[in-house]
Amino acid sequence: MSIALARTAAEEALDFSLPHRRMEEWRWTDLRQMIDKPYPPRQMVTAEQGEVERLLKSSPFAAIAGARMVFVNGHYDSKHSKLVNSAVEPQAEITEPVQQMNAAFATDGARLVLSGSIDTPVELVFIATDAAPRTIATHNVIEVAGGASATIIETHIGKGSYLANSVTEIRIGEGARLDRVKADLESHDATHLAHAHVTLSANVTYREFTLSTGAKLNRQNGTYAFKGEHTDAKISGAYLLAGKQHADSRLVVDHQVPNCASRELFKCVMDDHARSIFQGKVIVRPHAQKTDGKQSSHALLLSETAEFDAKPELEIFADDVACGHGATAGDLNEDHLFYLESRGITPAEAKALLIAAFVGEAFETIDHDGIREALTDYAARWLTEHRRKG
Amino acid sequence: MLDINNLHVKLEDEDRTIVNGLTLNVKPGEVHAIMGPNGSGKSTLSYVLAGRAGYEVTDGSVTFKGEDLLEMSPDQRAAKGVFLAFQYPIEIPGVVTMQFLKVALNAQRKARGEKELSTPDFMRLVKDRAAKLNVSQDMLKRPVNVGFSGGEKKRAEILQMAVLEPSLCILDETDSGLDIDALRVVADGVNALRSPDRAMIVITHYQRLLDYIVPDHVHVLSKGRIVKSGDKSLALELEKQGYAEFDKSAA
Repeated sequence: MSIALARTAAEEALDFSLPHRRMEEWRWTDLRQMIDKPYPPRQMVTAEQGEVERLLKSSPFAAIAGARMVFVNGHYDSKHSKLVNSAVEPQAEITEPVQQMNAAFATDGARLVLSGSIDTPVELVFIATDAAPRTIATHNVIEVAGGASATIIETHIGKGSYLANSVTEIRIGEGARLDRVKADLESHDATHLAHAHVTLSANVTYREFTLSTGAKLNRQNGTYAFKGEHTDAKISGAYLLAGKQHADSRLVVDHQVPNCASRELFKCVMDDHARSIFQGKVIVRPHAQKTDGKQSSHALLLSETAEFDAKPELEIFADDVACGHGATAGDLNEDHLFYLESRGITPAEAKALLIAAFVGEAFETIDHDGIREALTDYAARWLTEHRRKG
Repeated sequence: MLDINNLHVKLEDEDRTIVNGLTLNVKPGEVHAIMGPNGSGKSTLSYVLAGRAGYEVTDGSVTFKGEDLLEMSPDQRAAKGVFLAFQYPIEIPGVVTMQFLKVALNAQRKARGEKELSTPDFMRLVKDRAAKLNVSQDMLKRPVNVGFSGGEKKRAEILQMAVLEPSLCILDETDSGLDIDALRVVADGVNALRSPDRAMIVITHYQRLLDYIVPDHVHVLSKGRIVKSGDKSLALELEKQGYAEFDKSAA
């Protein structure tokens, strides 16, 4: 049954309906209510070079990345990019509102074919400079050739008020390995909407880590389609949220073939009035026997007004599988705090240690030492800034 | 060093008095053993001295090095020199033992206005102390107490004590759950820390530990009060007679 609602002005301009709370997948993130009005238009903005360079430097991965591809306000920046686009085209079907919005607004994006063994991480940097409110949309297509191995970082940094829409299609060939790290370090006045569409062939190793800490409103979708056997995917993430930040992740892990493994681990730290949502769906198709799929999401609520919602969904149609889920939410453990304080550690420092230990479990899933350390340091700085007194 | 005077403690959430007029005076260099049956208030006394929440002092005072101990937060007490070796050391996932020791030591030094220890100096200190207590490098790399055996946990507590060098050590049933070999390692570690500037309060149910850590004074605790004090022979007497005799006299 579809519910007919009068279209808002923003939707008239977009020519399609924004998702709203009566749609199950969007029940916690009603874009009709939450997106700035009027809907931020597409607008060509000329960036000041100094600002671009300052923002580029603020990437925690500045010293790690080998080759970089930089997009400023939705357009490829040849001056700061070492990589150029390859010939590879989008294939993913547009089925979902974030993709629809992206299709209506996208101006550019990375088109990469990665082959062979690429030792140093490739960083895609998406920069929004301080200008009038607007939509900045990019559509990336990344193809990892059979047998290749690579690490790719997607960094989203900006200033001011804007709506960033990022769609990334990833296709990974047989026997390849891809480590993907995505960091939402957007401006606190920004909205970040993202959709990742990942297709996994046989004998693939896929590692994904997402840090969500920047935008006031963050919605990330991920769909992971297992198309070949003996593939193993680990998808993890950390949220560091404060103020009135809102972050909603919806992952769909789709086991279409037998003998694959998936792991999802999300650690969410929330202070003040922040809210986060983890929606994880695992589908095991009828002949996808011997699937090993587990997901867990854990929230640490540092204030009584922070909120965490978890919606795990298992749709299992095969009978010989090992699948499970778990979700927890809680405060810091008083016994842990007392033990640390009884050794002379101040209450503020004890809290910071325990919070770092809590999110650390998610960071541990990152294999690249430099990236893991850069993100751990970034999280430590966040904790220092948001550390509550006493 | 430590003056406990007519101390009365009740649970914050319950109308139950646990410590009921306890008086104890501990001088530098002394080792005091406090013995008593379960429920006599031994552990409560150790927690109140360390500053754990959940207890309410209704009467009496505790003075440590001339200052009101009860006014201080747990971390301030630690920086002043109070150390509690827990009966059940807490497991803290995700916090590596080595990092924990360093943060704790430097937090105390900072609170006392001393310079923080450099990493090489700190590593040297920990390696030296750890070797004496059979604490392996592997244990130091693991999260605090996580997956440690009962004996390893107690050794880790004494290692913390050896690194932090407190002036008042409170050992809460450090012997519980230890076999005789582990007990000897722990007791040797404690004895190595005995010094003219350092006092110890050894809380125990059994006399056994006091064969290894020989006290200067022994006190019998019953129903929240010291009912008898003596020298180390009192512990042997208790071992023979049991606590029943003293419970009657406290009633």
